[in-house]
Order: sequence, then C-alpha cells, then structure tokens
Amino acid sequence: MLLLRPYFSSIRNRFFRGRRVSLRSGAILLFGLVLFTALHLISLRVIGYFHGQNELGIILSLKIFQMAWMIMFTMLIFSSMVSAVSSLYLSSDNEILYTAPVSDRQLFRMRYLTSFIYTSWMMVIFSLPIFGAYGTVFQAGPLYPVMLMLAVISTALTANGIGLAATILLVNLFPARRTKDIVVYLSLLFGILLYLIIRLMRPEDLADPDKFPDFIAYLSSMQTPALSLLPPAWATQILTGYLQERLIDGLAAGLLLLTPIVIFFAGEWLMGRYFFSGFSKAQESFGGTLSFACRPYHPSPMLRIFHKEARMFLRDSSEWSQMFLVGALIVVYLYNFKALPLERSPMPTEYLTNIIAYANIGLTGFLAASLAARFVYPSIGAEGMAFGMILTSPLPLQRYLFCKYLFYCIPFTLVSLILIIASNGLLQISGPMWWISIIIGLIITWSVLAMALGFGAMYADFKIENRAAAQGSFGAILFLFTALSAELVIITLVFVGNYRLVTSWLQGRPIGTTSLLLAAATLVAIATLAVIVSVVCVKKGIRSLQE
Amino acid sequence: MQTILEITNLTKTFGDFTAVNDISLQVGAGEIFGFLGPNGAGKTTTIKILAGLLQPDSGLITINDRSLADHPLACKQDTGYIPDRPWLFEKLTGWEYLQFVASLYGLPEQQFNSATNTYLELFDLSDWPHHLIESYSHGMRQKLIMTSVLMLDQPLMIIDEPMVGLDPKSARIVKELFKQKAAAGTTIFLSTHSLEIAEELCHRIAIITNGTLRVTGNMEELRNTAGRSGKDIDLEEIFLELTGSRELQQVIAALKGQK
Repeated sequence: MLLLRPYFSSIRNRFFRGRRVSLRSGAILLFGLVLFTALHLISLRVIGYFHGQNELGIILSLKIFQMAWMIMFTMLIFSSMVSAVSSLYLSSDNEILYTAPVSDRQLFRMRYLTSFIYTSWMMVIFSLPIFGAYGTVFQAGPLYPVMLMLAVISTALTANGIGLAATILLVNLFPARRTKDIVVYLSLLFGILLYLIIRLMRPEDLADPDKFPDFIAYLSSMQTPALSLLPPAWATQILTGYLQERLIDGLAAGLLLLTPIVIFFAGEWLMGRYFFSGFSKAQESFGGTLSFACRPYHPSPMLRIFHKEARMFLRDSSEWSQMFLVGALIVVYLYNFKALPLERSPMPTEYLTNIIAYANIGLTGFLAASLAARFVYPSIGAEGMAFGMILTSPLPLQRYLFCKYLFYCIPFTLVSLILIIASNGLLQISGPMWWISIIIGLIITWSVLAMALGFGAMYADFKIENRAAAQGSFGAILFLFTALSAELVIITLVFVGNYRLVTSWLQGRPIGTTSLLLAAATLVAIATLAVIVSVVCVKKGIRSLQE
Repeated sequence: MQTILEITNLTKTFGDFTAVNDISLQVGAGEIFGFLGPNGAGKTTTIKILAGLLQPDSGLITINDRSLADHPLACKQDTGYIPDRPWLFEKLTGWEYLQFVASLYGLPEQQFNSATNTYLELFDLSDWPHHLIESYSHGMRQKLIMTSVLMLDQPLMIIDEPMVGLDPKSARIVKELFKQKAAAGTTIFLSTHSLEIAEELCHRIAIITNGTLRVTGNMEELRNTAGRSGKDIDLEEIFLELTGSRELQQVIAALKGQK
C-alpha cells in the first residue's frame, strides 16, 4: 500500500488541486458523463431494435455481445502489455524503487494494480453502459448489474495479469524497448485485421433478403459457441444465461472468478524468477551501436525543421507504425464506396451519388481531424523540454509553426485528395460536385491542420512521454470539438450555396448567373471563415507558448 | 568597458511568491559574471527571464543596447543559453541536432563546419556525432549542448550550472574555453553552486537570496561587504556569511562532535 501512495497522490494532485475539483476536472467529468449517457442511449436503441425484430434479432444481438467481450479482452491484453513494458521496465521511478529494500513481489503487486487502473479504467467504465443496455432490453433480473460489474472487472483483471506475465517472459528474451515495439506492431496488426475482417465480411449483407441462403449458413455458424476456454466466453455464458433464462452457470462463474487469482500468483512467481534479468537487459541501450549517415549543412531553418520532424517521426516506431493503420483505413474507406448498393436505390443514381459525394466532404474532414488529433496536435508537446531551445532561438514562433504546418500539410493534402478523388471516381462524379468536393475538402483539411497546431500549442504538455497519450487529453478533445463544429458550419454553407448550381447541372438546365454568383460568394465566405478560425487558433497558441 | 547585459529593477512573482525581487545589475563585455545563491534563491528564474523563456512582471533587460521586451529576436540572436539540464531531441543524432541549432541562428556553413569539428574534438565527441542522442550519457549531452552554443560564437552566454555531469577533463576544458571566450570579448553570465569555479573564473560575483540581490562585486568587495576585509578568506566563507548560513558552522561542529 505504501508503494501505491505516490501514484494515488499524483492522481489526487492532478484532479483535485487544493482539495477542490478544478474547472478542467469538472469539464472532463461532465464530458465523461455525457459520453456515458450517449453510449447507453445508443446501445439501448440498437439492441432494442434487434430484440424487437424476431428470434433472429435476439441471436444476432447476443452474438454481438459475445464479439464485444472477445474484442474487449484481446484489446485489454495488448494494452496491458504495452503499459507493462513501460511501467515494469522503463518507468522513471524504477531507480528509486528497485534500489530500495522492496521485494519483487511487492513491486509486482504495485505494478499490477497501477497497470490495471491505467489500461482498464476506460474500457471498464465505457463497457458498462453498453453491456448494461442488454440488461434493460432483455429485462434481466436484479442480479444483472452486480454480475456484469463482477464479470467486467474479473475479465479485465485476467487480461491485465496475462499482459503482465507475457511481458515479463518477453522482456527476458528481448530488450524492453524492442518488446514495446513488438507489442505495438502486434496490437496494430490485430487492430487492422479485426477492422478488415469486420468490414470485408459486409455485415450489411445480413439485412439483405437476397443473400438469405448465405445468412442461414452464417446463422448456423453463429450458433456454435465462442471459444469456451477463454474468460470472455465464460463471462458471456453467465450473462447470456441470466439474460435469457435467469440461470447462473456455476462452473463458468467459478472459472471466471478464480482465473484472475491464479494468473496473479503465476505472474508474481514469474516476476521473482525473471524480472531482474529482464530489468538489467532493459537498461542496455541498443541505439548506441547504430550510426546514421550525415547530410551536409545548409543554413535554412525550414529545411532543418522539415528534416527534424521527418527524422523524429521515422525513428520512432510507435509513430510510423501508425501508417499501417492509416493505410488500412483508406482501403476500407474506399471499399465502402465500391460496396455501396447504388443500383437498388429508388432515387436516380446521379442524385444519390452527388448526395454521397457531398457527405463524403464531411467524412474526409472528420478523418483529417482525427488524424490531426493523433499526429499534429501532439507535435508541439512532443518536442519535450528541448522546446526551450527553440524558444530561446531567434527564430520567430510564427515561422516555426508555419514550417511545422507546411510539413504536415503535404501528407494531409495527399490523403484528402486521394480519398476525395478516388471516392468521386468510384461514384462516377463529374461536373460541379467534383470541383466543390475537392476545393471544400482541401479547405477543411488545411484549416483543421492549423487548428490542431493552435490547440496543440495552447495545451502543449512538454512532459508527456509519447504522442499517443496526448490524444485523449482535454486539449485534444476541445480541438476535435472545435474542428468538427467548424466543419459542420462549412458543410452547411456548402449546401446552401451550391444546391441550385448542382441541381441545375443534374437536371441538364443551363446554370444561371445567380447560381454561379451564390456559389462563388459561398466559397469566399467559407475560405474567409476557415482562414479566420485558423489564424485565431494559431495566434492563441503562439500567445500561450510565449507566456 | 561596454555594457552587454543590463538588468534594471527586475521582478517576477509566482502567485504570492516573489521569486525575483527588484534586481538590477550590469555586466560588461568580456566579463565572466558569477550568479550565486542558495537553492530556491531565484537564480534559475532570473536566468530563464534573461534567456527569453519567462516573462518578467516588471523591469527592463537590455542586451547589446537593445531591450529584450522590444527586440526579442535580435537579443536572442546575440545570446547563447546553456540550461542546467540537457534536454535534447532524443531521436536526432548529435550532428543533426547541431545542424538544427545552427540553422535557427543562421550560422554560415563554413563557420558551422570548422567550429563543430573543433568543439566535438575538444569534448571527445568526435566518435559520436552520428549516433542517436538517446544513447548519449548525461555528460555527453551536456557537452553537446555546450558545443551547440559555443559554435555560435555570440557576444553573450548565459549558463546555468555549467559543470553538472562533466568529467574532470571536460570541466577543465570548459573553464579554459570560458576564459578564452571572455578574453576575446564574450560576456559570460553563469550561475553555479560550485564556489571554487566561481572564485577561479568570475571577474565579479552577485549573491542572491530570497529573490533579492545581497551583494555584487569582485572578491575584495565581497570580503568588505562580509565585514572580513583584508583577511584571506575564501568565497565559501563569504557566501555562508552573506547568505545567513553562519548557523551551519554550528551544525558542522555538532556533527563532528558526534563522531
């Protein structure tokens, strides 16, 4: 317990400074509550819809229930492994703790609990409104909330224990930093695979009566139980049994509750047996033996900033490996357009494709905002304390941020153009919508980039250990909210300003001067709005950095 | 002697706490100026304000006859800052880091090549410039930061704890380099806890306690202020006298008595 005191004190000091809940902590709490409620309501609606259909709907909803548990369990194991490598082997307090008379066992208990809280709290909290909705829809008995809570915590504890134990074994074979990389790759590959499988399975086909024979085959496969040797299978077995017939499977319950305890003790034994040799290896630098080629010096700040950004990105495996995910996202995104059943629409195809192309502007903007939250927003905080060197240099901050902006502008512009042009091609869009989607898509992408940099500067956390951690911060959420609000306004303006122009084109009527003028005026208004929002955000960011 | 750095009535507070209280001083060209004080006296806050990292609440700072508030970029161009902790870009190599710093200050290519090679050689880093900084030891990082500032050859160097993490050979080299730079006209404003270094290097010394400047002057002037003029006492004695740490003598005596 004594070892956990610094951890809990840091949390208290972070959220309840001066024994009061700060405005920021209150805002985060409120945001969490809104998200919690929204998740619960959406889940109620979706599960209620399935449940209201027929026997098939109920089976399908329970199958989704099983899948959700399995996904949650696997994700928790991987995130526990990533967190365990950092907390067990690379944590900065290791030097204090491991030189003190603290046993491996005590250290394991402390890391077990902190790793559980770090990796599971979000999953545990946000799985409750979804799984809880099943209880409401199925009108489960009074024991359901208690059973659900126990099942979620027990499954999360098991995943955490497996993650820690696997990490101790892995680090004994590889240096800690490499293990971290391996775990990152594995979890990425898992994510991509899962996404591709779900997407390429085309779950929308299940609602297609034409595919009914396939569906029967699918249904028979659905009836087979999930891997019954895994804790999520036991959890779903207990919960679905209780949801449907109010029966509790004693064997599954016993297995579910006993497994985390067994794994905990196994982990403790592994810690005593293998930790020290792994910890010792973790301190051996492997970067020291590598030498990198040098390029001649040119006194151009822009060139050097580009070079620095590129090097820092390419030499950090947790950064560049995200590119696989972006690639998979693009493939799936475009595949969606290819898979659209346009021919079955009651509306003329040309109208429908234009509406989809219009919606695609918003989707591309949303994707750009998400990618900016992951890569651009944390880029200033990621400079770390070395940012002081940039602040003391004679390079104006405006120029520095502009160079950073240009650096990110190139890949973001490319991604947006690929998404818009390729999806326009798949939809066979021509005429005004082709141009509108490209111009507006680029305006949104460029302004979102500037906003990400501005918010990144306003809420820069120079002590953050990796960029991914900044993604869930208050500033990042605020950025996303602002970017999506601005995008919504722009998309609405696009509709208002171009409706007449596009309908005239689609109906083959001559395009009037009024329509053209209205479209041009809207474009100017959108560009002005984007520039104003971008400049305001960046200026505020610069001011915060200077202060 | 031309004044390079002038601080007038500088004040900085953090909430209710006054970290720097109405400090004024002048440092001339070619002078090595020591800035001493106990922990939490306000040394690093003052240095961060001089380097342009913190905004003062009031007061004026002039570097090379230009106000830091009105001409921050021109002042930064003339000032090299070596922080007490070597924060660097871990994923760059030492050479790439030096190129990056040089480009921020617009250092000409010829000067970059000759200066970096000289200093890397001096600091025993010539076998390491193309390795990632993340593999450097604390001392190597400190030497890399020193190289990055020394290569710029600016008229003012602001240094916070210059010898932390340096081996004796490198520390000796740094002292000689500082003397050489000062002789060539560079002004060095350094904060240190090592009184031997301050005594050996500094032409003048200022002692700050609780944010207030207690005394400024050369060793003789400091002895006079401490009321020990004419006596052969070292800077440590003067420092303890002026920072009100006389009771420390009693503590040391008591500790010796325990043995």
